[in-house]
Amino acid sequence: MNHDNEEAFSSSGDLGLRLAALGPRGATTPEDFALRVLRRAGISRSRYDTYVRLETAAGGLFVAFGPEAVTGAELEARHGPGRERLTPQWFEESHRRRVGRSAIPTDRAPAGLRPALRTGRARHLAIDLSGLPVDERAVLEAVRSIPPGQLRPVSWIAREAGLPPGPDARAVVRSLARNPATVLVPCHRATHDDGTPCDAAYAREAGDALRGAEGIDMVTVRQWARGGDTLLGSDTTHIYCHPTCAHARRITPAHRVPFRTARDAHRAGYRACKSCRPVAA
Amino acid sequence: MDDEAKQLTELLATDLDGGFTELVRIHAQVVHIFLLRVTGSAAEADDLGQDTFLRAYTALRGYSGDRRRALLPRAWLLTIAANVWRNHVRTSVRRPVSAMRVEDAEDLWSDGRPGPEERAATAEDRGRLVEALSQLPEIYRVPVVLRHVMGLSYGEMAQVQGCPVGTAKAQVSRGLRHLRRLLEPQEAVRKDVAM
Repeated sequence: MNHDNEEAFSSSGDLGLRLAALGPRGATTPEDFALRVLRRAGISRSRYDTYVRLETAAGGLFVAFGPEAVTGAELEARHGPGRERLTPQWFEESHRRRVGRSAIPTDRAPAGLRPALRTGRARHLAIDLSGLPVDERAVLEAVRSIPPGQLRPVSWIAREAGLPPGPDARAVVRSLARNPATVLVPCHRATHDDGTPCDAAYAREAGDALRGAEGIDMVTVRQWARGGDTLLGSDTTHIYCHPTCAHARRITPAHRVPFRTARDAHRAGYRACKSCRPVAA
Repeated sequence: MDDEAKQLTELLATDLDGGFTELVRIHAQVVHIFLLRVTGSAAEADDLGQDTFLRAYTALRGYSGDRRRALLPRAWLLTIAANVWRNHVRTSVRRPVSAMRVEDAEDLWSDGRPGPEERAATAEDRGRLVEALSQLPEIYRVPVVLRHVMGLSYGEMAQVQGCPVGTAKAQVSRGLRHLRRLLEPQEAVRKDVAM
């Protein structure tokens, strides 16, 4: 075949190159062509997923969905520096490997997907996590309950997910790394227990962009992490929170009392916030 | 690529609908671009492309598992597409070249990251080439598009055309010669302007 190609180029020369420019790399097919083919052939909608590419603060996001729920999402910008961007073809192939159905491009996002991405409130978006082991699904469901603009440490996620107590941080981070619906299951809101973001499934920059768009001030978060203070109390209410909790953010600077651990806070006579639940109630 | 083709035919053999969705996902673009280049019109490429896949699906339903397993999906689909186009040309009243054609060429130019080939060719040049292709006699148009636009090997081409490899080579060579003649008057003008 190589020999064939050389021959073609030498005999056709410039004209061959000009014709090649009209080929697959130089032309675009209407976005919904394949989808219309399947509809016309009468293939049942449950046999394939469709997908769109949407813009997020961290760049393009491919989102695949079936008739009932989102079935996968992946950022175009990939893990680590120097990695090539995810192409539609790669996304289609990895989706196929993961769920066993073809992902067919469409230009119509399902109802609720765009607003969920715009506002970061994706908690009530239907996402199909049924293919995952029970523990992984519990971890991702716990992550889904973190409100936009807030961060939660791995130990909190493990507890909310109902994992047995113990050194489960690595199991949680593993589940985060395998998140099949990046951004929509907001793993960018998960941190290690020292307060540094996990960003297990994508580059740190992508995570920072997503957090920035939700109004999380990463400079402050990093300062906190460096200082070793992971909880924030108010000396007027004697309640302590995760520092990014909506209630903690309302404490005026003069009344902020930082704590390293929940035990320190309890010793000082503080109780845990019931919204962000820094310890099990 | 070979692995991918094998996986696809295996899937077609065992699960027709699941295999067909993969067939469409992988090859829709190839079929569409082939038809776009032989018809010169995006609208016609779209219609004929739909017909091509519908025929493919109907045919697959009648095939045995072994026959589906033995398919060469890309060559097979392009064979159907070429037949669909030939039938279309035969049955429809030949329409004059519409203004739509050159527009198509420019629309398609705008997208994608330009490789070296694309950069060398201007949108105007592409328009001229698309125009010349649509004037090429039908017997040469399919071979030239298959070989030089789609980049098929002569072996694969011969399968699509159902002819010996030597015949395929000869058709491409004659087609190119014919295409050069069609382009010549314009190219001469272009050289004059350049000087």
